[in-house]
Amino acid sequence: MQQTETQTAAAAPQHAPGTKLREYETIFLVKPDLAEDLVDKIVERMRGIVHRDGGKVIKVENWGKKKTAYEVKKNLRAIFVRFLYLGGTHAVAEFERNLRMTDDVMKYQSLKIADEVDAAARAVEADVKLPGDPEMPERAGREPEAFGAPEFGARRDELGDDVELPPEAE
Amino acid sequence: MSDLKKEMAFGDRAGGGGRGGPGGDRGGRGGREDRGGSDMDRGGGRGFGRKKVCRYCADHNLKVDYKNAADLKYFVTERGKIVPRRISGNCAKHQRQVATAIKRGRQVALLPFTVMAHQ
Repeated sequence: MQQTETQTAAAAPQHAPGTKLREYETIFLVKPDLAEDLVDKIVERMRGIVHRDGGKVIKVENWGKKKTAYEVKKNLRAIFVRFLYLGGTHAVAEFERNLRMTDDVMKYQSLKIADEVDAAARAVEADVKLPGDPEMPERAGREPEAFGAPEFGARRDELGDDVELPPEAE
Repeated sequence: MSDLKKEMAFGDRAGGGGRGGPGGDRGGRGGREDRGGSDMDRGGGRGFGRKKVCRYCADHNLKVDYKNAADLKYFVTERGKIVPRRISGNCAKHQRQVATAIKRGRQVALLPFTVMAHQ
């Protein structure tokens, strides 16, 4: 824990104009019962890790507690956090390695957004915190809600008339 | 077997629309003819009907984004499958983007891999 404090202190490095880095996005899912300040702690630690690696955090979005589409480690909800950052090849590896070591992180996914981003020119955006889904008591044994458009296997003319088809644009 | 399930699943959604009882399952047919011109607009028939236009081509501001689960739900069946191009009306390019977006969305639990059938 001591070490994490020092990592948090790592400030964003100054990039010389023309420094090209790649832009990445990582979404990770935190256990839903984790207290808010502990989530912030994870976020700050990850921010420190990016900065320590010579990267630059552009934006951190905390989507709040949302329902997951399926059970993740026995949880039906998760706190979603999205990181947008610049870095080299090592940045993602280090980022993911640290997520893996954090027990409260259940799942993560990283994506490359862009190549060759000018690190000095890319402005840092304000962090976003969203409220997440409204908390509703889960009724026991409730059936999952119908999801998306109806099945396409049946022929169109076999469907009932008020069955909604996927929307057809003009 | 699976077809039967499918029909049952539709049965409770469709209400009375064309699915009366045994034997009378084509009850809603007449209603279709009544609709006349509008029926042709729906593009459901074979041979003629309106050409579907890709949602993402029609609106250039609209970007395929795996984080936008609400938009992608249109391209996923209630069982969680990806809707084929012939149904969704997407162009090839955007269907590819939609397909990868759905797969990415599944990975971060924004979209389901599969949804259990009722019962």
